[in-house]
Amino acid sequence: MRRALFAFLTVLIGVAVVAGTALFVAKNGAEPPTLTATPAGTSHTSNGEVKHATLELSVFPNASSTQAGPNIPASTTTVVANAQQWPFYSPSTSIQLPAQALVTVTIHQYDTGGQIYNNWFAKPVGTVGNTMTVDGKDVPSIAPSNVGHTFTIHQYPDSNQPYMYVSVPLPAQADNATNQANGYPTPIDVTFSFMTGAPGSYVWNCEFPCGNGYVEFGGPMSQRGFMSGTVTVA
Amino acid sequence: MSTTDERPLASADEPESPTNRPRSMHLVKQWLQRPYVRRLLWITVAITAVIIALSFVMVGFMNMSGGPGSAIMNEIEKTMFVLTFTCAPLMAGTLAVLTYSWWGGWGSVASGDEPTSDGPAIQTNGVAVVTWITVCSVLAAFLVVWGLVELATITSDSYGSVPANQQPNSAKPVVVNVTGQQWLWSFDYPDSGNIKSAQLVLPINVPAYFNVTSLDVVHSFWVVEEGVKIDANPGAITNTGFTPTKLGTFNVRCAELCGLHHAYMETKLTVVTQEQFTSWIREQGGTTTS
Amino acid sequence: MSTAVAIHEQAHVPQPKQISNPGGFLRRTNFLTALVSGVVTAAIFWFATDKITSAVTGPGATNNMSLPSGLNISITMMYIGWVLGFMAGIGAFAGPIRWFLGHDLTHADAEYMAGKDMGREKFWKFTTDHKVVGIQYLVVTLILFGFGGLLAMLIRTELGATWTEVFNPNFYNSIIGTHGIVMIIAMIIVISGPIGNFIVPIMCGARDMAFPRLNALSIWLLIAAIPPLVSNLLMGGIRDGWTVYQPLADQAPIGMIGYQVCIITFAFSTGIASVNLITTIVRMRAAGMTWSRTPILVYGILGSAIMGLVWFPMYQYSQILALSDRTLLTSFFVPASGGSVWLYENLFWLLGHPEVYVIVIPATAGVLEYLPVFVRKPLFSYKLAVAGIFGVVGLSAVVWVHHMYMTGWAPQSNYPFMMSTEMISIPFSFLVLVMLGTMWRGMPWKRLPMMAVYAVVWNKVIGGITGVYLSDTPVDQYMHGSMFVVAHFHYMLMGAGLFGAMGVISYFFPKMIGRYLDEFWGSVGFWTAFAGFQVTFMSMFVAGLQGMPRRVLQFDSLFNISNWISTIGAYVIGIGMLIFLYAIVDSWRNGIIAPDNPWGGKTLENFTSTPVPHENFPVLPVVTSGPYDFGTPDPYELADDAIMRKTEGAEKVSARS
Repeated sequence: MRRALFAFLTVLIGVAVVAGTALFVAKNGAEPPTLTATPAGTSHTSNGEVKHATLELSVFPNASSTQAGPNIPASTTTVVANAQQWPFYSPSTSIQLPAQALVTVTIHQYDTGGQIYNNWFAKPVGTVGNTMTVDGKDVPSIAPSNVGHTFTIHQYPDSNQPYMYVSVPLPAQADNATNQANGYPTPIDVTFSFMTGAPGSYVWNCEFPCGNGYVEFGGPMSQRGFMSGTVTVA
Repeated sequence: MSTTDERPLASADEPESPTNRPRSMHLVKQWLQRPYVRRLLWITVAITAVIIALSFVMVGFMNMSGGPGSAIMNEIEKTMFVLTFTCAPLMAGTLAVLTYSWWGGWGSVASGDEPTSDGPAIQTNGVAVVTWITVCSVLAAFLVVWGLVELATITSDSYGSVPANQQPNSAKPVVVNVTGQQWLWSFDYPDSGNIKSAQLVLPINVPAYFNVTSLDVVHSFWVVEEGVKIDANPGAITNTGFTPTKLGTFNVRCAELCGLHHAYMETKLTVVTQEQFTSWIREQGGTTTS
Repeated sequence: MSTAVAIHEQAHVPQPKQISNPGGFLRRTNFLTALVSGVVTAAIFWFATDKITSAVTGPGATNNMSLPSGLNISITMMYIGWVLGFMAGIGAFAGPIRWFLGHDLTHADAEYMAGKDMGREKFWKFTTDHKVVGIQYLVVTLILFGFGGLLAMLIRTELGATWTEVFNPNFYNSIIGTHGIVMIIAMIIVISGPIGNFIVPIMCGARDMAFPRLNALSIWLLIAAIPPLVSNLLMGGIRDGWTVYQPLADQAPIGMIGYQVCIITFAFSTGIASVNLITTIVRMRAAGMTWSRTPILVYGILGSAIMGLVWFPMYQYSQILALSDRTLLTSFFVPASGGSVWLYENLFWLLGHPEVYVIVIPATAGVLEYLPVFVRKPLFSYKLAVAGIFGVVGLSAVVWVHHMYMTGWAPQSNYPFMMSTEMISIPFSFLVLVMLGTMWRGMPWKRLPMMAVYAVVWNKVIGGITGVYLSDTPVDQYMHGSMFVVAHFHYMLMGAGLFGAMGVISYFFPKMIGRYLDEFWGSVGFWTAFAGFQVTFMSMFVAGLQGMPRRVLQFDSLFNISNWISTIGAYVIGIGMLIFLYAIVDSWRNGIIAPDNPWGGKTLENFTSTPVPHENFPVLPVVTSGPYDFGTPDPYELADDAIMRKTEGAEKVSARS
């Protein structure tokens, strides 16, 4: 009887350790709070009247005194890394969009760039008309040597979910662009629209090598909250 | 306390039976008289049947997402059956001895007791050893030969020589350059005006050949229901291929851990008719040269 | 076996001068001093390297992740400092330093180092007594299994929560890799460590191992290697599987350096331990213990040690080169600068394959060792078992490419390697035949070690057939990189390996600890874990057949059901293992006291007292017969002989036997 009690206690302690570790890790690996697209009435498309929503994002080359970094626990990134120097998407990388809607996204791009590895990602794909607007001008593709980042939404590994693929390149700032008072240059504004379908979950990430380590896909490129995140269509 | 079966005295040969029969046959017949041997053989047969039934279940699981979609996948499934049938008797025999011993067919001593007597002092049995080694070697050799032939068959399917068990295909093959990248596949059709796509679209019954590479780390190009897989290595081009034999939507997955979004590096293969394929190419802005 | 009555006089050996109290520096060192020394040296190395690299590359450089080498070099030196400091702090360098100074160790020093007349404190020091080292290995193994098991529970929780990402993908990728390497290390040492160190010298009739100080060195190097590995989770994780394929490993944060330094250190520990085991087994068996009278467990550990010694350096080199790529910006594995990813894969799998036999052979040999005791029959065809072990050891060298069928490295090589891989099933089958033949017509004594044999054979059959599928290149074209592979190797390494090890440890537990493992609670834990194991991994085979890739935290909803079932099974394994752990801990303190010969065995360790005295045997034994001399004459053979005598005459009968 005494033995049964102690055996049970051992199991209980083991379960507590596992549960405690899981909760601690889940909390410390948390992603930024969800950013929901703002409803904006309806819009007339070739499919008739659909809901319309807008979303606004910015890409900064680093955090600074004038711009806070991502809203994630400090312990998430490498202990001694200076994550303040990493580029990131602001205000959040966890995005929520309405289903069966036309979504218009505006991204303010503040970072420099260079040559992208795969020219396929220098073209907008999956947007309305496969095009995008850069500072007001319609642009069907940009020079692969002048890409800053990309915003690429792609598939969750579930064949039951509706397929979605949207990829938009963001032009780079010139290396010698003058900085404004806030320490960043004048943003390049990129606008694009795409249709969402039935509810589903997706992920997005940047496809430009703006990280560090091997082929510059380490560091911020391999960390949620900076250059990658989730998209929920609900 | 020994509870082994009563040991039947091997009967002397029937008085009139001549000694034409080889002595070994007589020994085997005698050995088969032992009750536990007969029981073990029956258990072996029963377990073999179960294993063979399970092989159908296994292949059933493999086909749950729409496969088999190509001759290669068919060969793989056939091989699953052959491998299982070949190994089943030996597996079953092993499990039969296991079961019989555990169930107490030769008796047992409860854990609370102490054993009081020893079992039979069988140091070895030449017949058993030789039989076992021979059977295992023959089965292994058969599996090797089968495997080598199968490998050659599907390799010829994959790499462009005339497929061994398909009709010679007069259709010009579709060549796709597959680029694996963290964390997306992109496909390039060089013969159709270099159109690019994030999804793979192929016409049915036309051989498709893939030049696979990676721009960063090692990925693995796995077209699940078509039964092909090849690593996408940086700095090298590897090849595979298949001929889709079924219309529908299938899965292309990455089968080598490649970083943050490895789990999400999945896209679709859509197998369509030739006309649909041609119009899809035109939609992407490509040229269709026949 | 009988022990000799001859009395040997201790020869008088002239001793060096006794410089200080016996033990010298080692009187002051223990685990605590090692920890402190390790941490301090790590800090010193870190600061010094940091200063040097900043001076070379400019201020702030080491903290700038855009320059990979600065921070990587300082962290590497920090870990190296930890290992060197830890080893210095435990007194590992005392012997060589004293030799250098001309103050050789005396007999009194050696006795101190062997823990003579010390109490519990000898377990915390650099003790050379193989029995102490064996217990240290046992405790370290249990801790590693606990940590690996915790990670397994986290992994299964993520996979069971199919509707969300419980952990973020980086953490998940890190824990699958860390779980893998921690379990691999634990499985490598689980038999060769506790049993190889504690039991094998006694079973060979020796007083200690061939190189006692190397013995202590191997366990303390292992202990030193663990914190770098575990700390990776606090340094960003390794974000890669246990195979840490390049070039992905180059993108990982600094946690990867912990992994690499751990493996480099662990490889030294394994090599040293292998040398020790091989020399002991080859040279220190008791008088009369010819190779035909050597217990099969000893053969198994010998085979495993040989494989480890030859192949572990490959793994070590792969990590040294990877570390060099990271810190010195070489490009062994960076294709764009002339390197090759296939080079890494080959180096890795050259160890990676023999490694699984390093794990499975000792477990199998251990089970074969005690099986005759529980059915009280000789080991069936002992010579076949030895042939099987060495057949596997030899062939294990030429099958590694079956892990690389799908890499596209050398497609033509798939043919010969498929052949060699199918062929290795033949010597392996010898071991299965021996197991079956020993069970055949035997009356099993249903204690826990015997019941473990049934579990092992069941798991081995399932692992074996699924291995046949994977060895066939066309089938592997579907299965590689899927959960089918994961389920297969868990059936072999955990099903046959770990459950076998649990049986072996429960068999030798009375001799090592002096008390029997509690039969009831040990069995409850064992069978609960076994039941959970079947549920978890059978379901995982289904997921693999359906097409689920491995190392993914989210997947197609088609695989949801099999993952839910696997997760529930995994929780049951966890509960079972915790109960087994409780049984071990409770029996350690309160178990039934064991006699000299706990199970009625005939190997040499049963002919010394329990607990084993400091010098193992009062008088070294002389062996006069084999270790499996059980059994009464076979009634069937007697009857056959009687008939033959009647029909063909007595000469034929004696000619036959």
